[in-house]
Amino acid sequence: MRFDRFDRIIGLALAVTAIALTALLWRGAGDDARSGRSNPQLEKRLAQQAKSALLQKIYGPVEQLREKGALPEALLKLDEIARQMPGEAHGVMLRGEIQYQLGALNEAITSLSAGVRSEPLYIDAGSPLSRRNLIEEVVRLGMKQVAPQAKSAPENRRLNQALTNLYYLQSRLAGGCE
Amino acid sequence: MPTLLLLLLVFLPLLAGCDQPGSRPVLNIGFMNCNNEQETLARFRPLTTYLSEQVGVDFRTVPVDTHEFEERFAAGDFALTHTNSLLYVILKENHDLRLLLTESRGNFGPRTAGAIIARKGSGITSLDDLRGKRMVFGPMMAPSGYLAQYDLMLQAGLDPERDLDYYAIPSGSFKHEKVVYGVYFGDYDVAAAPALDLETMTRDGKITADDFEILAQSPLIPYCTFGSAKETDPELVTKVRKALLALTPETTVAIDGEQVKVLKAAWIDGFEDLQDRDYDLVRDMARRTNMPPYQVF
Repeated sequence: MRFDRFDRIIGLALAVTAIALTALLWRGAGDDARSGRSNPQLEKRLAQQAKSALLQKIYGPVEQLREKGALPEALLKLDEIARQMPGEAHGVMLRGEIQYQLGALNEAITSLSAGVRSEPLYIDAGSPLSRRNLIEEVVRLGMKQVAPQAKSAPENRRLNQALTNLYYLQSRLAGGCE
Repeated sequence: MPTLLLLLLVFLPLLAGCDQPGSRPVLNIGFMNCNNEQETLARFRPLTTYLSEQVGVDFRTVPVDTHEFEERFAAGDFALTHTNSLLYVILKENHDLRLLLTESRGNFGPRTAGAIIARKGSGITSLDDLRGKRMVFGPMMAPSGYLAQYDLMLQAGLDPERDLDYYAIPSGSFKHEKVVYGVYFGDYDVAAAPALDLETMTRDGKITADDFEILAQSPLIPYCTFGSAKETDPELVTKVRKALLALTPETTVAIDGEQVKVLKAAWIDGFEDLQDRDYDLVRDMARRTNMPPYQVF
């Protein structure tokens, strides 16, 4: 097989292109490593921040109503949001917080345990989403009020479900896993 | 002939083991109408069927108008009752009705509240603004649609009989929704709306949270209540109670050839064991507003 001048030019061009691509890929990988784009910690924090910002956008009106003491309106706003995102953890946690503030302890326990089950960050003291203090308060009161009632009425399914939820929150506060 | 005799010998004992029509006691459960008879029957027939199956008694679902309830209960028409908390207090006070269980539904479980609402942007932002306004209340015997709001106003130093321009109560069924829409469409300035109706109407997309200003909301008071007449067999009452507490969202019964979820059909989340003293808030409200059973002329 003989190579003419054009074959040599094409061969040379292919070799130059391959070397250039390799150099580009190698440099790109180095840039990624230097900029930390593939750093899992950074990616996790970015995701958390993005989530926080989105939650703030969605639930901002609820928080505003709650802060000015308009708790019934805040609950209605949550009901409205729940139409689009039923069972969303942040909404469920907010509902539990408001239910507790309005004196519905059993319902607050149900909501808070459901929220923590779907997003464990709410029990994590270091998380920006943390509701640990509230959960501790609810568990303390629940153990005082709900637990004795549930123990004296084993046939009461809902009351015993509330007790199960209380124990769940208690174990999560103590650092227990799912 | 011997074959026929043999068949009779085999099948007769089996037939005797079955429940024959009329062989079980028949007892009435009086269900207070919330909106209308048709709705009451649709809601509570599955629950009544379930109780009949569990307890071994043929219960009948009897829809009852709120204002006829006491008279019919006094006449011995009902072994069990399902009423609002004010009617429970009246029947307890006047006829020694026994508390069985309290129904649980919505954000506050076995409790609910009454709210006073105005259209957002109407300029009405507090109870003080109610003077000289047009108000619409729910039915007069409704704890969270009339009693709680009337009491809230009295407690705030407002006399609904004197300080409002006028107030009205809608006629016909679906009064609570009519009250909310009455303000929404501007027929009235303010309304007495049950918190639960605001919640369900928002969840159903009929209204939004931004449509209304909640001027005040009452403390939480017990929701709808099952009671038993003092003459009803205590053993049967215990069975009913046990059956109600055992209900789960998955419990079904056959109604007109279909399997129907009992709790879902009845719009109930479950049942709770409140104490009679939990109804003292309702009693206090009834006393302050001069309502039955403490009404003085």
